[in-house]
Amino acid sequence: MATTTAAISIASDITDDSLGVSNTSTLYTAGTTTGLSTMTSVTKVLASTNQVDLITTGSVSTTHAYVYINNPSTDHTEYFHIHIGNNVGSGTYDDGTLPTEEIGTLYGGDWMWMPWDVDDDICITPSVATDMTVEYQVFS
Amino acid sequence: MATTATITLASADIAGDPVNVSKTSTCTKAGTTADLDQTTGLNRVHLRSTTQKVLIGANAEGNDLAGKVYIVNKATDPTLYISVAIAAQSIGKLYAGDFMFIPWSQTDVSADLKVAATNWTASTGDIPVEYALFHEDTDLLTDA
Repeated sequence: MATTTAAISIASDITDDSLGVSNTSTLYTAGTTTGLSTMTSVTKVLASTNQVDLITTGSVSTTHAYVYINNPSTDHTEYFHIHIGNNVGSGTYDDGTLPTEEIGTLYGGDWMWMPWDVDDDICITPSVATDMTVEYQVFS
Repeated sequence: MATTATITLASADIAGDPVNVSKTSTCTKAGTTADLDQTTGLNRVHLRSTTQKVLIGANAEGNDLAGKVYIVNKATDPTLYISVAIAAQSIGKLYAGDFMFIPWSQTDVSADLKVAATNWTASTGDIPVEYALFHEDTDLLTDA
């Protein structure tokens, strides 16, 4: 199996004493020390402000994955709402009762990294309809 | 007062060619280039409950403001994980050593960030978890 690492470094001087955090993790299958074996890397251009499924549960064959999403825009006013839950048509409900839950907003230049239990789709809503590009990778 | 976050994803063998992704972002207020100016700092808790606990409570004032959350599972036993959820929606599991860094926009007041030491038992020992929130104008103090 492959060896894949994810490293993060956070530096902040919000507080008087600056804060520095760093961590490196090796990506394993659930509860093991066996490396992951699959990666999907996609760049999409979205030309509508409709919410759409970005990463579907059907695209991953495990129940433990890691997701990286990047908004490469250099315009801070252009953003994506990132939701988790299955999008149905133009609505925001996956089964008529459970709304998709917004994780957060990725502004231009922002990225996110999270584990994913592959229970529900990851959905995206662009702020403008003028060809916004989103990049993502899924490791599983 | 800038806050920067850099991620590097690397693998020499998960694909035919090496994978190396590196991205740095400066954490800014919603839709602007102004830096985030508030933080909880880095916190450490030891989880010993299989039931969900609120790690960071949502606040109506934070609705659609910018916030970034960092969470890391500092356990060393690879079988020990924490389940992470927002409100009633599960997101994923952080196994030992895993971290996450996500935007958090507190779209509704129930959008608490919750964690559970799902497979904790008395014999596994506590699961140490560290977290930090970087955010803008919202009061996250419970009794303020």
